[in-house]
Amino acid sequence: MTSSEISGGKALAAEAALRPRRRRPFTFARFVRGIAPYLLILPVVVTIAAILGYPLYHLARLSFQKYGLFELIARHGTDVGWANYSSVLHDHLFWQVLVRTIVFTVANVALAIGIGTLLALLLTKVSSIVRVLLTAGLVLAWAMPPVVAVQVWIWITNPENGVLNYVLTQLHVGDYFQHDWLATPFSQLSLTTSLIVWGAIPFIVVTVYAGLAQVSHELVEAAEIDGARPWRVFKDVTFPILKPIFLILTSLSIIWDFGVFTQPYLLIEQPRINASNELMGIYLFEEGYLKTDFGRGAAISILMLLIVAVLSIVYVRKMVRAGDEAA
Amino acid sequence: MKVRFLAAAALAAMLAVAASTASARPSAPARAAANKITVWLQVDAQSGWPNLVAAANQQFEAKHPGTKVDVQYQTWGDHLSKFDATLAGGNTPDVIEMGNTEMTKYMAAGAFANLSSQKGSFANSKNWLKGLAASGVYNGKTYGVPYYAGSRVVTYRTDLFRKARAKTPTSLAQFTVTAKRLKKQNSKRGFSPVYIAGTDWYFAMSFVYDYGGSIASLKGRKWVGRLESKKARAGLAAYKRFFTAASRASKTGTENRPQPYDVYSRGQAASIVGPAWFSCCVGKKYTKSTKQFVMPSHVKGQGMPGFLGGSDLAVPAGSNDKSLAADWIRIFTSTAGEKGLQAKGNIPNATNLLGNSVNERAAKRSWFVPTAKNWVNVENGNVLRTMLARILTGKATIAQATAFADSNIELTLNQ
Repeated sequence: MTSSEISGGKALAAEAALRPRRRRPFTFARFVRGIAPYLLILPVVVTIAAILGYPLYHLARLSFQKYGLFELIARHGTDVGWANYSSVLHDHLFWQVLVRTIVFTVANVALAIGIGTLLALLLTKVSSIVRVLLTAGLVLAWAMPPVVAVQVWIWITNPENGVLNYVLTQLHVGDYFQHDWLATPFSQLSLTTSLIVWGAIPFIVVTVYAGLAQVSHELVEAAEIDGARPWRVFKDVTFPILKPIFLILTSLSIIWDFGVFTQPYLLIEQPRINASNELMGIYLFEEGYLKTDFGRGAAISILMLLIVAVLSIVYVRKMVRAGDEAA
Repeated sequence: MKVRFLAAAALAAMLAVAASTASARPSAPARAAANKITVWLQVDAQSGWPNLVAAANQQFEAKHPGTKVDVQYQTWGDHLSKFDATLAGGNTPDVIEMGNTEMTKYMAAGAFANLSSQKGSFANSKNWLKGLAASGVYNGKTYGVPYYAGSRVVTYRTDLFRKARAKTPTSLAQFTVTAKRLKKQNSKRGFSPVYIAGTDWYFAMSFVYDYGGSIASLKGRKWVGRLESKKARAGLAAYKRFFTAASRASKTGTENRPQPYDVYSRGQAASIVGPAWFSCCVGKKYTKSTKQFVMPSHVKGQGMPGFLGGSDLAVPAGSNDKSLAADWIRIFTSTAGEKGLQAKGNIPNATNLLGNSVNERAAKRSWFVPTAKNWVNVENGNVLRTMLARILTGKATIAQATAFADSNIELTLNQ
């Protein structure tokens, strides 16, 4: 606080002390009106706390226990303190998987938000018929359940008679006869990325498009009259207004993509999962469920929760701070 | 005033909703009444021999009037996680069909009731197939009753083999010559004389055992990986040679995507290796021109050891009616029941019942996975698949790949 602010505050306080304090009368009506909002949200908060907090508490407790098949049958775990966490953090595979998942998440989030924003901007420029068609296509992609989408992807990229290999060979892009799109880890993860980004784009487009409606035409026109190219207009006019929306979208995307399980597991399939293509969600499933070591699985879950929380907080703080500096 | 009324009404409504959902506490499922036993069988029984199940149920219900049998069919993919859930919830079935490779882990954890004292009362128990019976024994106690087995055979196109003037091969070398001739005659791109998925470890390990090697063995109380031995490596080298000559399948692909019989039914393979029941699904076009033979060994005149797949029947330890459950198993695996299974193309559970079908001849020489409680983790960790992929693509020499696999196996089995 600057010295002028401090002295100003002191002046106000002095003034307030001089005036006789008149409290607003405490009536029951006022009390109920004041507390009503909290009472109204209390049931929802209690329900969410019960649905999320109760399992979370049990998960944390489980992570400090040894709980394998033997304990499952006996229905009683044995306390082992930090042994599960120690075991996970000393596992080379965990760190390998973590790095790979962070890179994977960055790629997915960047692609989804980048392409989504471009499509949203496109939506503002095209005629209404095209806009309707594009929006309909996006909603259909959004509505498709992930498991169904994976199956469609499998058919398209089928080595023997998939449409992708056929089209690429016919167009003489190269010889894709019976090309196995799941042959290498990079190919497997790229395919998974394409599937996840395809499914994530509709949400991004719809949200950003709604946000773009807040960008007033006058501002954009003023910037264009001043000679700004489209990129400058986006950077200096549109983006600052949309910053809160991007903040939310990026945080959500990080949370979803970091723990993604359905698409990679079903696309790559368990027999082809190994140390070179495991992602965090799959690592958790393999260690916790397939190895029937629920205590260790719980430890991995809690660690994932902490990592995602850290990633999100770091990102949010950076964005908020950048926003404060710009303001 | 109006605001207060609205607030109170909304509050009451939400509390009511929260209360109603909160009261829907998951209650423990009502304990199965003593006059019903629950049996978990796989869908193979549902589609393959439902009449045998019905006959066993009838016999059981006649013997125990008032007790009903509730058969619930499971799929291989999720029956173990469902079983885990019932173990945790305390409402296990009374009888469960387990794959022979799945038994050890659960026996070690005490999931099943000890049937050793009643072993003699099961039909043909003195002659149970060694491989299958071994999968139901842990620490000298019997927990599983052999149900049926299946071996691996070669399903082939008689018309294409005739065109190549090839007789049923009696040695691996002969088969390789036939494969090369078939390749020359059927030069369509992607056609495999013998369609084998690169990482089909069930087939590849047959070569290892054929040359006298093994996957792992118990030395004292520790498991030692044996893939680095000379014999095992010779087997793998033979596998790589045969694959290169005979299969155009993906070197890193698995044996269930695509299904070999799908490739066969599209005319893209002259023969496929797999369970004998593959003959069900070779497509209408080739059903008439499809036969099977035993995969030949590298030694002339004998078959290559085949992976003996199979199922056991066990009684979970938490069952309320263990004697009734054991009785159901006794009826289902009686000599009549086993002969019924044999008629459907399966291998019955005892040597004195064996016939001369291709499936049963192939079972004469068989191998089984190491009976370690953590073997399932080696399978799920895809150690053998990764090793085969690296060998076939040339990313590692056989020596390197087997050394890496052995250290992985030892680490996992000795945990």
